[in-house]
Formats: sequence, C-alpha cells, structure tokens
Amino acid sequence: MPSPSYILTRLLQIIPTFLFIMVVVFVLVRLLPGDPASAILGERATDEAVARINAQLGLDEPVPVQFAIFVERFLQGDLGTSIHLKMPVVQLIAQRLPVTLMLTAYAALLALLLALPLAFAAALKRDRAADAVIRGAFQVGLSTPVFYIGLVLLTIFAANLRWFPVGGFGETLADRLYHLFLPALTLALSLSAVLMRNLRASIIEVLGAEYVDFARAKGLRPRIVMARHVLRNALISTVTLFGLSMGTLIGGAVITETVFAIPGAGRLMIDSIYSRDYPVVQGLTLALAILVSLAFLITDLVQAALDPRIGR
Amino acid sequence: MKKIVTAALVAALLGGGSSYALAVERGGDLTFGRYADSLFLDPVLNDANVDIWILTNLYDTLIRSTPDGTDLEPGLATEWAVSDDGTEVTLTLREGVKFADGSDMTAEDVKWSLDRARNPENGIWNGLIGSIDAVEIADPSTIVLKLKNPDPTIIPALAVFNTAILPKALFEAEPGATDAEKAESFAEHPVGTGPFVFDSWERGTRMRMVRNPHHWELGEDGEPLPYLDSVTFEVIPDDATRILKLEAGELGGSEFIPFARIAELDANPNITMELFPSTRVAYLNMSVRPELSDGTPNPLADVKVRQALNHAIDKDAIIQIVTYGTGTKQQSYMSSTTPMARLEGEPYPYDLEKAKQLLGESEWADGFDVSIYALAGNADELAIDAAVQQMWSQLGVNLNIEQVDNATRTAHYRAGDFQMRNSAWTNDINDPSQITSYIAYYPLIQSVYSGWNNDEVNQLFEQSQQELDPEARAAQYERIQEIHISEAPIIYLYETPYPVALQSNVKGFYQIPLGNNIFAETYIEK
Repeated sequence: MPSPSYILTRLLQIIPTFLFIMVVVFVLVRLLPGDPASAILGERATDEAVARINAQLGLDEPVPVQFAIFVERFLQGDLGTSIHLKMPVVQLIAQRLPVTLMLTAYAALLALLLALPLAFAAALKRDRAADAVIRGAFQVGLSTPVFYIGLVLLTIFAANLRWFPVGGFGETLADRLYHLFLPALTLALSLSAVLMRNLRASIIEVLGAEYVDFARAKGLRPRIVMARHVLRNALISTVTLFGLSMGTLIGGAVITETVFAIPGAGRLMIDSIYSRDYPVVQGLTLALAILVSLAFLITDLVQAALDPRIGR
Repeated sequence: MKKIVTAALVAALLGGGSSYALAVERGGDLTFGRYADSLFLDPVLNDANVDIWILTNLYDTLIRSTPDGTDLEPGLATEWAVSDDGTEVTLTLREGVKFADGSDMTAEDVKWSLDRARNPENGIWNGLIGSIDAVEIADPSTIVLKLKNPDPTIIPALAVFNTAILPKALFEAEPGATDAEKAESFAEHPVGTGPFVFDSWERGTRMRMVRNPHHWELGEDGEPLPYLDSVTFEVIPDDATRILKLEAGELGGSEFIPFARIAELDANPNITMELFPSTRVAYLNMSVRPELSDGTPNPLADVKVRQALNHAIDKDAIIQIVTYGTGTKQQSYMSSTTPMARLEGEPYPYDLEKAKQLLGESEWADGFDVSIYALAGNADELAIDAAVQQMWSQLGVNLNIEQVDNATRTAHYRAGDFQMRNSAWTNDINDPSQITSYIAYYPLIQSVYSGWNNDEVNQLFEQSQQELDPEARAAQYERIQEIHISEAPIIYLYETPYPVALQSNVKGFYQIPLGNNIFAETYIEK
C-alpha cells in the first residue's frame, strides 16, 4: 500500500500544476483573435456597441488586473458569469460536467468489460484463430473515427432497429443509462482497442516470467496463479495506460456529445471557445484540470497498490 | 329549379365550410428539433436568431407580419394611423388582452415596453425605433408615439420582436438593480401575451412551452389559439442526428435541413419537406479599399475587376452544387422578399468572355492572388469557395481559401483587415432600411466593413429614412440598388429558403421570411 507521505506529496503536487494552468488558460484565451462582444453581437455590431459591451464585461482593463479579479473571485468560490448564457459558471459546470463524467465513466467501464476478458482470451489462445479475430476486430474499432462509429451505431441500432433512442440524455437514472449506452459504446471502442493490445502483450510477457513458473512449480492451482500473480502484474502497465487515457476520453466526449445530442461539458467547452465566452472556458478548464489530475493521482495510487515497489 | 339550385349551393357552402372549420384538431405536444439552444429570452437584450425566432410564440408585438411576410396585420394594436406630417403615430390597443398570468395588459405596459426597447442603453435593437421621441398614453386604449422626424419605417418597426409588450409590474418586481439583472431573472420564467407560455428549460437539451390559456387570438373553430397543448424544443446540434430522430418518429419537426438531404426527405411519404421563402441572402463580401492591411495595392478596389469577377461566376452551377437547386439567384443585395427589392433578374449573368474583356481593361489583366475567409468546417461556404476558385482560375485569378472560426473572422472583418469573406444576411424588419444601412450605407459600419463609400447612396439613404411618400421612397431605393449593382462592391450569389421537415400529420406550422417560427396555428392530425 502506498504510504501516507506518498499520497500527501502527490496531492500537494497538484496545486502548482493548477496555478500554472490557471495563468496559461487566462492568457491563451485572450490571445485568440476576436472578443466576446463581437462574438455576441456578430455582424450587426457597431464599434460603439462592441466597446460598450466589452467595458461592461470588464475586458477593457489590463490583463493582470483582470487576472487579479479572477483569482479574488475564485477564492470566494465564484467563477464568474457566462457571457453568452448569462448564468453563473459554477452552476453551468455543475449541470454539464456530471453528464460528461457519467458518459466517460460508462465508456471506461464498457472499455474494461470489452478489453479484459478478450485480452485474456487472445493471450491464452495466442497466435490461433481466436487471437487473430479479436485483434482484427479491435483494429477496426481503433482506426474508425469516433464520429463515424457514432453515426453508424445511431443509424442501425437506434433509427432502424429502434433498440435505443436516437440520441438525447433521458430523465431518470435508468433512462439515462439506456440513452447513454450507444454513446458510451462509441467512446469505448477505440479505448478498449488500445487497452486490449496492451493487456494482451502484458499477459503474454508475464506468463513467460520466472515467478509464474515458480508458482506453478510450487503446486498452486492455475486459478490462483492467474489471479494473484499473472493478473496483478499484467495489469500494472494497463492501469497506467487506462489512467492516462482519461484525458483523451474526455476529449473524445466532445464529438460524441455532439452526435448524440448530450448536454455535456465537452460541447459546452467547444461552444464557449467559439463564442469567446472567457469565464466558461477558464472555469471549465480548471474543473477539467482538477479532474484529470485526480485521475492521474488515482492511477498512481492503484499502481502503487499493485506494485509495492512504488509508493514507499 | 331555382330553389333546388340555391339549396344545393347553400348545402355545398355549409358542408364545405364546416368540414374546413373542423379540420383543425386540438391537443397534443409537438417536439421540434433545433440545431442550437436559445441563449436569452428577452426581446430587448437578446442578440441571436436562436432567441428571436421563437420569441413570437411567447410575446406579441403591436403590429405583426402576415404569414407570407409581405404585409402587416394587427397584433396587440387593432388600428394605427400616421399623421400627415409623419411625426405622430396613433395606435388603438386591442381590448381584453391578458398576460399569461391572467393580469390585464394596459397602456402602461405598452408605454413601458416601448420606452425600454428604445432606450439606447438597452441592447442592440433600439436603433430600429430610434425616431421615437416620446410615448404617450392618450387614454387607456390609445397610445401616441411622438417622433423626432417623419419615419417611414416606424410601422414595420413595430412588428419587430424587440417591441414586444411585457408586463411592467412583473418585470420590475424581479430582483436586481439594473434592467439587465431584472431581465436575466425575468427571462427564467417569462410572461407575455403570446399563444404559449414558458414552462421549463434544461439548458442545452430541452425547452418546453405550454399553451397560454389567456391568449387573445381565436382559431378557426372560434376557440382561443393555440391548437397544441405544448411545444417542446429539443437541441440536436448534429444535422444527421436531427434528421435520424425525425425519421424515427421521435420528432414532430426539424429545422435547418442540409440542402443535400432535402430531396431525400421530400421523397419520404411520412415527411413534409417545407421550403419557406426567406430573406436570407448569401454573398461574398470584399474590401474595396485601395490598399490591403499590409500596404499592397488591392485589385478589388477597381470596379472593372469586381464586375469581371461577378461575370465569371456561373451562379446556376453554384446553386446546383451548394443548394442542390433550392436556391435562386440574387437580384440585388437584398432578398427578393424585401419590400422595394429590385426584381429585374441577376445583375451579372455568367459571361466568361465579358469577364476577360473587363479584366483586360483594368490594371490587373494578368490576374492576381486574392484570399477569402471561410468558416472552418462549414460545408456550404467551402463548397461555394471551391467552385468560385475553379471558375476564377480561368481568369488567372488565384483564390486562396483561409478557414477560420467565427470569432476570428469577425475580428478581421470588423478591423477591415480582410480581402474577401463569405457573408449572409437575414432581415429582422419588413423594410429595406436595415439591410441597406449595413450593406450599402457607409457611416454605420462602412458598408459591411468593405470600405465602399458612395456619396449619392449615403445621401439617398438618409433622405429615404424620412421620406413618407411610398413611391418617392421606392424610387430612392431603385436608384440605391442601381448604383450598388453598377459598382458591384459584393459578389452576388443566391437566396435560399428555410428548409424545415415535418411529420406529415403536423399542419399549420410556418416560418415567416424574417425567420420567426410560428407555432400558434400548428396542429397535429390524428
């Protein structure tokens, strides 16, 4: 088990990363050409209208001053108000981020359910027909764009067979699990392909290791050999890969949320960048940074739990 | 014999009449698929079509556009009269109008709403009624507008969404110190006189409006509108998904059907593919300044070059490639559905020889490079630009397509730092003044930042803004359009209708040329 000092160190490391991200995002989003007022007013804007609205938004102040105001509000738990949607950013994030988290968690779970058993099957039946079929199928899933997979699944299983609703998010928890199955599957396919290949290679390597031979020689039953020795060691690198993929998964959620009409944070982020909605971009980036940092931390901790050599 | 014929005639009329009156069916919910969610449901402070186009279901204006958009009809005002010198407008208010909460609409509400709408501090639409000096209540049923100067656009302006009538007492009871704050709070549960009243809104997903039991307008059956119990808007940004959902029967209707899918949906027996006449024009905007932002000479500053470029484009081909034949050629910078639009055919017919000849007469006979800003990922714009690129290559003109996002393009454009860009326009008012003030008139935004500054057009426009004689005004607009065409500061392309697909049992929905979606008379046939 990882030591308390290890956990504490890792937690504290999040803080400077966080600060750095805050500054970078704040500056970057203001470097983009265009400004929120023009984005709101569009083609009908006169210079006076744009200047007036930018002043109302406090965007005519020097950037360091704007940053100071931002940090001051942040420490009070206020992430500002969305310029376009006229809602507090905290409220927006609280509405949209859980949706994306649910989608990505569901996708991660499906990816594991697909990858784990099939990786084992492929590894144990290595170089035989089953192995080739499994690897081939996953290769297709890996090379096909998420957008295309999503539309194909939607067309076949939702629009034609009517097994699933055509996009949307649903109302109750059970309803939502039903609505999110196809989008989660879409996201899961490419991730599971990556995980499967990695785990299969890992299992093959471990199966050939000396300590496995030793365990068998000791007379341990195959099931215990698998569970205690093979699986635990093979999973180490796959767990790392899985944790590192969380960021990519959230990124892939953007496309999936658009195709399936899911009101998540991915779409919110894209829309806010296009409309130069600075407060939302800043707030959402911070929230996502925290989440991804936590995901990395948990990955490290699980890794340390699996491998006692780490985490002292 | 005569009696029998008369009786037969009466029977036919009655029979025909009553079956027509019974055709509408009441009840039901219509789920309508939209490509984007609304942002802010306030008539005065909003700034986007996504809000404007559904506000007419929640709020009414004093005057309304007719369904085909060509004329005006009474709304919350039953009569209106403009004084001879054009500086006073007297409006008679409709009796017995109530807001959705049951309270009466009074002259106070009307005065307050109009004063709020014309306040220069509030939003971006106040200029449309900028000529109002004062709003006076003559008596509980009569409002008098005192104008600073004669204004021929004031009547159409009273049909624009920003002059909708809101309940003063309810709005002012909202928390907040400023108008903007109260508006934000009020917009979370808006109350108007329209056929529907706001019910619920899950941001980014779904908005629901239910029938307003106090609505004043009667349907064909003599009962108050609307026929539907409720309308639910579902936000489905992806075009393909929106169509799939409609085909699966999960939506009653779906807006913004891509041109490529229109024929397919039209052929579907369960779907009615509507193409509503619009005021939407698509054109290419150019900077006509003598120099570009980097100091190099701008070929587009030469009128012969611009005319040549216009002649070199096969508009029929572009209409086929991009709009799959649903578009029509632009005849003027304003759509053919705009009052006083020039309707004499396309200004620059496709003529490659003439184009070469004109280019030869300019200083740029050997051709030149020109760049255009297109919206990244926008299929229509990229298709137009690719076709134009190919057509202009025959003149030795090399079109360089730069894909950027909307905010970036807007930034360049507003700074006049562009050579060409794809542009589009939809009118907000049933009058040519708005589009002209932006596209052809220099003082407002330098003729859509093209830098085109024609003194005669500027003067004609300013005169037309106070010209009360419709014929004289029409003559002014004829001349403005004539000059615009001869100088060709834009590349004229096409107009397209609004493509809306509905289940075949959904009737009575229409979208007016200004874009507003009208659900008041929509019903579902069982």
